[in-house]
Amino acid sequence: MQILTANELISGATVYFLADGGWGEDINSARVFSEKNIPEMEQAIERAQASGVLISVESETVRVEGSRVVATRLRERIRARGPTAPRHRRQKPDIHHAVEFTHVSL
Amino acid sequence: MYRYDQFDARFVAGRVAQFSDQIERRISGELSEDQFRPLRLMNGLYLQLHAYMLRVAVPYGTMNSAQLRKLAHIARTYDRGYGHFTTRQNIQFNWPRLDDVPQILSELAEVEMHAIQTSGNCIRNVTTDQFAGAAADEIIDPRPVAEIIRQWSSLHPEFTFLPRKFKIAITGAAHDRAAIKFHDIGLMARRNEAGEIGWTVHVGGGMGRTPMVARKLNSFVPHADLLAYLESILRVYNRYGRRDNKYKARIKILVREEGLASFREQVESEFSEVRGGVLSLPEDELNRIKTYFAPPEFKDSDARFDLAALKVSDPEFARFVVHNTHQHARPGYTSVTISLKPVGGVPGDATDTQMDIVADLVERFSFDELRVSHEQNLVLPHVAIGDVRSVYEALCAAGLGEANVGQITDMIVCPGLDYCALANARSIPVAQEISKRFGSAKRQEEIGDLKIKISGCINACGHHHGGHIGILGVEKRGTELYQITVGGDASENAAIGNILGRGITGEEVPDAIERLVEVYLGARSGADESFLNTLSRLGETPFREALYGND
Ligand code: SF4
Repeated sequence: MQILTANELISGATVYFLADGGWGEDINSARVFSEKNIPEMEQAIERAQASGVLISVESETVRVEGSRVVATRLRERIRARGPTAPRHRRQKPDIHHAVEFTHVSL
Repeated sequence: MYRYDQFDARFVAGRVAQFSDQIERRISGELSEDQFRPLRLMNGLYLQLHAYMLRVAVPYGTMNSAQLRKLAHIARTYDRGYGHFTTRQNIQFNWPRLDDVPQILSELAEVEMHAIQTSGNCIRNVTTDQFAGAAADEIIDPRPVAEIIRQWSSLHPEFTFLPRKFKIAITGAAHDRAAIKFHDIGLMARRNEAGEIGWTVHVGGGMGRTPMVARKLNSFVPHADLLAYLESILRVYNRYGRRDNKYKARIKILVREEGLASFREQVESEFSEVRGGVLSLPEDELNRIKTYFAPPEFKDSDARFDLAALKVSDPEFARFVVHNTHQHARPGYTSVTISLKPVGGVPGDATDTQMDIVADLVERFSFDELRVSHEQNLVLPHVAIGDVRSVYEALCAAGLGEANVGQITDMIVCPGLDYCALANARSIPVAQEISKRFGSAKRQEEIGDLKIKISGCINACGHHHGGHIGILGVEKRGTELYQITVGGDASENAAIGNILGRGITGEEVPDAIERLVEVYLGARSGADESFLNTLSRLGETPFREALYGND
């Protein structure tokens, strides 16, 4: 199973493609693509890239544990939570910008 | 220190305006990320795991108080209240927003700083001995030559798109504190038979996935010819360096594949063409640059530390004096190293408040001069011995009084997987655990000088190849593992450490280091036999067995 992640242009913050078609910072709300949804995921990647406000758009392997979406790679778990040492809060996506890109029709 | 002339100021201001315009066009959508990425990298702006990272150049690691205050201000205003000093003697900010970068860069320009050539396949910040212009063992102050190299290499039209990045280090002392033999070009001052000072040129050193110790290309290049000689090396590299393969594109691979003799022949042939031309360095120009680095107005003094008395009356301060001061060329003065390695802290980080406090000390006690060391510490190069107690107290109050320079907790550590997009494993938490394990003063005194260096991937920004004990983070099936090396040395006796065996987990690392240290302590002939000497006498076997048993 896979999710889509990117960095928001202005803040550089980690964001995820959400189930509602927008982009946001909570990995647990990320849209999880199964094998059969791969073409849909690829379309979403293309649109994200075309939006101009998302950079470094990547798919990542995850597993779903109840209401939690857990990335397989440690790198992605660190991206989802922020640096572990010292524990830093994550970067906030740019709200003004985020409004724009969540309205990009995906 | 060097001050910008009108040309420098115009050039930096022009670049700030140009990059600000590019950022604006990126945000408006006029530029795509593909178009923008190379432009932002040329201006030191990376994208890491959680945010952008801005790398600001500190030319040959030299700053004044106004510059450090500006860095503190940037950390406080546009970042998260801290900065990270690197092995390239630069500083990195981990959380800037893209739309703040124009303002950050224009504020940096106010104090003659910028982020140009801190990324990309160009000649990067020239690094040097942190005690340059102060050390008692120095033949010559290398900073004027470093400054000339900086000017020559800044936006050099031929060398803006080299096959790969290019790093030059220079030292004016015979004892190498700048790891010059792990650089693409390493320069060491030398006096010839006639008593003239020139430069021994080493080439093809580097860390990374193919670590190599630089080889001696020329044992004496006079000042006047140095730029022509460097240009000749760069031309040969630029022409024949492997642009087809990123992993083979550094000059070290070219030197290895060509052979040193053939490489030297090509450099000499190029040199015979350019020598004596526009790149000759006239004595008066060198002297003009030297005036920027004239020694400060030292007072006559014969003050000394009475260590024997201090050890009784003030043992903690005595420990600071032993480890954190370095012998100055001028009687009555010393260089004070400010450790950025508090026990359990993040190596190389300084908060905005700490930077402001250090800036005050720089101004009050060190003739307005500060240095950044490649070992990720700060240095007050010229402190009157009578002032060291006051400096020490101020540092302790700011959480910067750790008396551990050169000891096991004074580690070089890269940002690793907590920040870096290229990492395989975390470096900082491993360093913190080692630091806590060995943090007691008594334990560190018992062990003596020992250099541990940690990298989060084979790119080796944490210089693990040159650590007496090196730790390399790798990834195996989703788990962070750490390979341990021993025998690396970044001094004038440069050597690359050897891997002892299979990778171990992060939790196992402190115990593993403890076992290596125990082998050393148990086998050394006395407290004055270094870890490296014990290792070379015993061989690796007892160390390997300490980690893995006899398997
Ligand atoms: S060594 Fe690797 S992990 Fe560490 S900073 Fe360099 S590229 Fe990043």
